Amino acid sequence: MPSRLLGLLVVGLLIAAPFELPAFAMTLLTELVILGLFAMSLDLMVGYTRLVSFGHAAAYGFGAYASGYMLLNSSLPLPFAVLLAAVMTGIVAIGVGWVCTLATGVSFSMLTLAFAQLLYAIGFKWTSVTGGSDGLAGIPRRPGPMGLTVLTTKSGFYYFTLVCLIGSLLLCQKLVASPFGAVLRGIRENEAKTLALGYNTRLYKVAVVAISYALGGLAGALYAPFAGFANTELLFWLLSGQVLIMVIVGGAGTLIGPIIGAAFFLLLAHQLSAYTEAWALFFGLVFIGFILFAPQGIWGLATAWRKHGEGSMAEGRADG
Amino acid sequence: MVDLEGAPQAAIGAARPLIELDHLTRRYGALVAVDDVSMRVGDGEIRAIIGPNGAGKTTLFHLITGIVKPSAGRVRFAGNDITGLPAHAICQLGLSRTFQLTSVFPEMTARENARLAAQARDRRRWLPFAGDGVTKRAGSAGDAALELLGLTEVAGRPAGLLSHGDQRLLEVAMAMAQEPKVLLLDEPTQGLVVEETARAVDTLARFLAKSRVTALLVEHDMDVVFRLAHTITVLHRGAVIADGGPSAVKADPRVQEAYLGGMD
Repeated sequence: MPSRLLGLLVVGLLIAAPFELPAFAMTLLTELVILGLFAMSLDLMVGYTRLVSFGHAAAYGFGAYASGYMLLNSSLPLPFAVLLAAVMTGIVAIGVGWVCTLATGVSFSMLTLAFAQLLYAIGFKWTSVTGGSDGLAGIPRRPGPMGLTVLTTKSGFYYFTLVCLIGSLLLCQKLVASPFGAVLRGIRENEAKTLALGYNTRLYKVAVVAISYALGGLAGALYAPFAGFANTELLFWLLSGQVLIMVIVGGAGTLIGPIIGAAFFLLLAHQLSAYTEAWALFFGLVFIGFILFAPQGIWGLATAWRKHGEGSMAEGRADG
Repeated sequence: MVDLEGAPQAAIGAARPLIELDHLTRRYGALVAVDDVSMRVGDGEIRAIIGPNGAGKTTLFHLITGIVKPSAGRVRFAGNDITGLPAHAICQLGLSRTFQLTSVFPEMTARENARLAAQARDRRRWLPFAGDGVTKRAGSAGDAALELLGLTEVAGRPAGLLSHGDQRLLEVAMAMAQEPKVLLLDEPTQGLVVEETARAVDTLARFLAKSRVTALLVEHDMDVVFRLAHTITVLHRGAVIADGGPSAVKADPRVQEAYLGGMD
């Protein structure tokens, strides 16, 4: 299984990273893991169910504010606050999903955007909880449970985010390969037929929105103690657009692809912004290039290339 | 008179009706697509619904299967009122259908199409992480249906790449994989070439005889109708103009008039 071997190799490298990489690189890598989780969570909706959300920042921002608020105002240890924030995001998303799935297509996307903008407005106005335009600052990484301090260190926190990402990835892979995932693909390809086959497609869509938002909320909940703050930018539509770009550039409907897309986005933004203020312009050109010439994204290209290689190898064997 | 020697004999009368339509009506503005249709379909009966284009046959199917809500009238299945139930709930009661315009999952293989159809009948389909047993059971039910329709050879191909004829048969296989109590076939031979039609009709005839399923069939091809159906209902401009055995319907002057009128 070369692909499984490759996966183990990458995980091994990620585990070894804190021993070799300098501090600034570890900061970047941690952010990359968090953004990767965020993009992967959106892929469940966009790639597997063709539910294109323009408001996934709502999940990220809500998770960030929820974990930030709990870490600031309670004695909950870091992992509990983070996981609780993810669960809370998922519960709120049941309501969001219920309303948004009243519509389909572009109207669905607009409703998700409207919800994110609603949360954005609340983030600004509800100063006593959200800190208004200042946001929440000085969010601590509380030790515990049982006095455990390992997660509050830089490397410890990195490993925690890594466990969250890999755990979520395995969960999502299991989900999309399950009978539930087969129904999601049915909805993606032909919702009317899926309904006529006896599936209550609305409930499946609400469920996938809730799972997707919960994992997006987990990413946001990790970001707050990572950055030490949570502000309204995390709820802004710009972030919703960016994460959608990460999913598409990385390869929608592959789970791994969006993680790579997030890394690609972050690293490219990092590099380009060293040269020019207008880095977003160049990134836009890259995005257009992908849409036109490689709509299957980075991971789609990679798997096609690998299959092609295996195909010609098989032909070679047949000839010989 | 046409020779009806080979036609299956109606097995109706004794059995209570499985499907009852009472004064079913559907209006679109001024247009009355289905006009006060009442019908009884007995358990095990195979009924063809025929009529000129625009007679309301497909709309009638949509009304029975919950895809379109009636403007007036009731639909009863096995004595229970199912009017206004959502399409998925009606399918779960045991009414499976095919569509007039082929409706499959184009990027999935034929096998995955049939499996997804069969999986809908599994009570444990909801459990996301207890899935292997569900998938396996659905897979074998789906494979059996594919074999019944002679699609085993193309089972691994994406449905969108199958020939039009195979796609139509796949849709029938998907309905069969659900082991329905009532099968609703909307023009199963529509767009098929002659050999494909012959194969499809042979397969359907064998399946219907074996499964004793109740079936409603919309069909234009009269040879197919007389081959498969016990009884025939004739729709014209949304209303029933004739109803009964093949010979009675054929002899009905109103049917001849409607058909000749609709054909020119």
